Amino acid sequence: MSRYLDRSADIGEFIPQPDDDLIICRCEEITKGEIRKAVHLGMWTMTEVKRLIRPGMGLCQGQTCSKHVKGVIAKELHISPAELDDLTARPPMRPVEMGVFGNEVESHE
Amino acid sequence: MSNTTADVIIVGAGIAGNSAAYYCAKKGLKVIVLEEEMIGHGGSSRNGGGARVSGRDAREMPLAIYATRHIWPNLKEELGVDPEYRQNGYLVCGYNEEHKKGIQNRIADAAKMGIDMYLLEGKELKDKHPYVSDHVTCAGWTPTDGVANPLTATLGFYKRARELGARFITGEKVEKIKLYKGRARTVVTQNGNTYEGGKIIVAAGFGGKEIIKSVGLFVPVFKRLIEVIVTEPMPHMFDNMVGGMSGFYGQQTVHGSFVFGNALGREQCFAEITTPVSSSYNPANICHTIGVDIPALKEAKIIRTWSGWTDMSVDGVPIIGNVAEVPDLIIDIGCTGHGFCPGPASGYTLAQLANNETPDVDISKLAYERYDMAKKQPQYY
Amino acid sequence: MKRYNLAVIGAGPAGLSAAIEAKKHGMEKVAVFDENSRPGGQLFKQIHKFFGSKEHKAKIRGFKIGEDLLAEAEALGVDVHLNSVVAGIYFPMKRLGVIENECLINYSADNIIIATGANENFIPFDGWTLPGVIGAGAAQTMMNLHGVQPGKKILMVGSGNVGLVVSFQLLQAGCEVAAVIDAAPRVGGYGVHASKVARTGVPFYLSHTVVKAEGEDHVTGAVIAQVDSHFKPVPGTEKHIEVDTICMAVGLTPMSKLCSMAGCKMVDKGGAVPETDKYGATSIEGLYAAGDVAGIEEASSAMITGRISALAACRKDCYITDGEFEKEYDELEGSINKLRKGMFSHENKGRTDITKTDEGIDLSMTLLTKGYVSDREIERFPGVVKEKGVHPVIECTQNIPCNPCQDACKFGCISVGEDITSLPYVNKASRCTGCGMCVANCSGQAIFLVNDDFEPGYSTVTIPYEFIPRPSIGDKGTALSRGGEAVCEAEVVDIKVSPVFDHTALLTMKVPKDMSMKARFYKGKEAL
Repeated sequence: MSRYLDRSADIGEFIPQPDDDLIICRCEEITKGEIRKAVHLGMWTMTEVKRLIRPGMGLCQGQTCSKHVKGVIAKELHISPAELDDLTARPPMRPVEMGVFGNEVESHE
Repeated sequence: MSNTTADVIIVGAGIAGNSAAYYCAKKGLKVIVLEEEMIGHGGSSRNGGGARVSGRDAREMPLAIYATRHIWPNLKEELGVDPEYRQNGYLVCGYNEEHKKGIQNRIADAAKMGIDMYLLEGKELKDKHPYVSDHVTCAGWTPTDGVANPLTATLGFYKRARELGARFITGEKVEKIKLYKGRARTVVTQNGNTYEGGKIIVAAGFGGKEIIKSVGLFVPVFKRLIEVIVTEPMPHMFDNMVGGMSGFYGQQTVHGSFVFGNALGREQCFAEITTPVSSSYNPANICHTIGVDIPALKEAKIIRTWSGWTDMSVDGVPIIGNVAEVPDLIIDIGCTGHGFCPGPASGYTLAQLANNETPDVDISKLAYERYDMAKKQPQYY
Repeated sequence: MKRYNLAVIGAGPAGLSAAIEAKKHGMEKVAVFDENSRPGGQLFKQIHKFFGSKEHKAKIRGFKIGEDLLAEAEALGVDVHLNSVVAGIYFPMKRLGVIENECLINYSADNIIIATGANENFIPFDGWTLPGVIGAGAAQTMMNLHGVQPGKKILMVGSGNVGLVVSFQLLQAGCEVAAVIDAAPRVGGYGVHASKVARTGVPFYLSHTVVKAEGEDHVTGAVIAQVDSHFKPVPGTEKHIEVDTICMAVGLTPMSKLCSMAGCKMVDKGGAVPETDKYGATSIEGLYAAGDVAGIEEASSAMITGRISALAACRKDCYITDGEFEKEYDELEGSINKLRKGMFSHENKGRTDITKTDEGIDLSMTLLTKGYVSDREIERFPGVVKEKGVHPVIECTQNIPCNPCQDACKFGCISVGEDITSLPYVNKASRCTGCGMCVANCSGQAIFLVNDDFEPGYSTVTIPYEFIPRPSIGDKGTALSRGGEAVCEAEVVDIKVSPVFDHTALLTMKVPKDMSMKARFYKGKEAL
């Protein structure tokens, strides 16, 4: 079960910041401001933010940006980053062509 | 009313729960939504995003038709989030005479409901859908079907319902429902909290089975793993939903990535795994199948695979509606892997039931009571 | 389907060591999978000599350790799968989905050791996505594996060991390092690594961060600024630095995705790591994590953790008895504990309140803020003595786990003692023959030979020299101080190269007598 979160709790207003244009997820070119706005729309977990606006959904699957996305969300929610669950780890570890992944051969002794 | 009391308590923050919350809030009802995990954790976010009417059982077609005619087209404006709904048709590929017969049956079913569906073959098929290989010998084409984005649609309903004052609590696992003088009234959570509502809606996917058991209801629903692969963004290839009589389904998203799922037939054996994880079997099978039918996609790189549970009802359609035995309890369970498209219509209907209105959509064939042997019409057993 | 007794993911120091250990203890079918075309992980980029003591392969260069491990693994019959991406890990069937030779091949295993190492961290700042902003590890790959300079003029962000070691390697590759900066108020890595960079003239800016990468389509400059105690840039302190490359060495995050994919219980230790017992066993039976993936350390301890995990798997499946296991484990635990001591140990990480060495000597604050020990401070350390004739001057001022200098001197001039983190001291230096073994064997390049009786008015200073082209005897140039400032003219009077020095040349320069305790680097007439 996830951590208890009352989504009606007050996290304050969205206040624009000078570095809102800073790109946090470079695969999907998602800025800090976009992530902050998503939090104010109610996206209070890494996964919800990812599903709504795509940080961590690109080629590197969050390998580079996850830590920073987490930091931005946590700050917006006034909590510690450790309170946020990581994105689910999913195969494949690296991008693989469909033709290769579909070409399964048997391993032999 | 205290902050744990509402007109309607909704269990489950998937597309049905969230849209029900939205429509209830729109009616001015006070709503509390309780979710064990996060918003859109389950099947609502874990499906291929098909928004199709064709190929459906006639009993659930009214919901799908209502959703595609009256809800999906307006959602972007209504929610302020783009659910990426595109009514660009659905191509279902067949590979042999048996499939062709199957497609012709679907065409006949669709016609009964006033839905146009066509058989494509030979040159016409190749001209209109040049991306499919020669392996595909026939196809069904339903121009009014389409695709949407399950992630943004599910979250979009949540976002809008929340703006309208619906209270969502996540990480709040409902364990049981308690009766008050024979009527559903209170839900009790694992955290030890209780919430009271005039109506209780259980729209919690497979998890709902255990919850409604607490008031002595049993639904013939089981759990099945679904697995899907997602590619990197690719140049535009098609706008329609594509599926196969072999079982695969998928789309090219607005973003450019391809999303494809398939079934191998062993998915319900994974029910003992506690969290849905990709198996070592199916993603390879999906890639192989797609490579045969849409050869150009062999080059596309998969960047993730994901999996989820579908709540399968034994007769292939969901159980939706009031339960006569337990007044004030409304259930939506057993969507059988095709509950996303009709989801908003289910939510719309659930909200009408919660507000004691007569539903616009005929859901009489989806009632809990249909399993009652006294009805003497279980052609599906 | 092929089933291994042990499948190891990652052919770095931890993974190779694990496979070797498992083979040695009787496991028949052992495989190592690595996505790279060369095994060894980061070892093959490590052209510097390692720290530690003999049992940790100290003073051997990293890539040589990698070659030795690979040769041993192959001799023992380990199946080494290269260019093989473990795309997925699947439980409960203990299966690896491997992409190799353009196919997907599934293997199963009785035991799996995940030794996938770590990823480089990045920090976002204005312009951080411009080409020319690269990771220090990437820079190292370009230079040391592909022979390509990552840039001409480089700003190094991060003064941990990675930042310092790579800065030195950039200098060796002929790049200019414009500055080393760090948001922390103290140099994060070993002082000896900082000193060898600082003495070539590279400035250090502590409590500084990079606020902007300038340029349209690639980096043409950087703006750095001082930070306050909350690591926020202080307005008005911005400084422009002309560089074409910004190299980020801002820490590592365990590459633990396979662990969480397998379903291991994870904990947060500066990134998610699997919860493990002292043998590296995760919450899933038969699944172990070794090396950086279980918590960032360094290659020497990774080798030991790999061996421990393999031993644990061997015990679990009855290849060794409990008694045999305990005996071997105790030995390895003793060995790793030596590496985990000192002021850079895990428990002391990030501390800024340490002011004295274990011996009670005040630390050099210049070293911590500018990267070198000042002339005045150096006098108080036990390795720094004045003797007649040629003698070693050991400028090792922090408690780091390292003692090759003690073994290097056949005449017993140098002692570290039992505790390998103790500061080395000079005893009976009068027996020094000037052989230079200590100079060449010091992984930190912190030992110099000084001879104040060279000729009237002149002394010689012998320094470790790892740049090419090497100067020749008779060349005249400039002697630089510890801080990289020109202090006097210098003449090369000897340059010694020997296989036992392992590519470290010993350059002896003649300097005026009063400069023998100041001159610590030689700069030829042509720029470095």
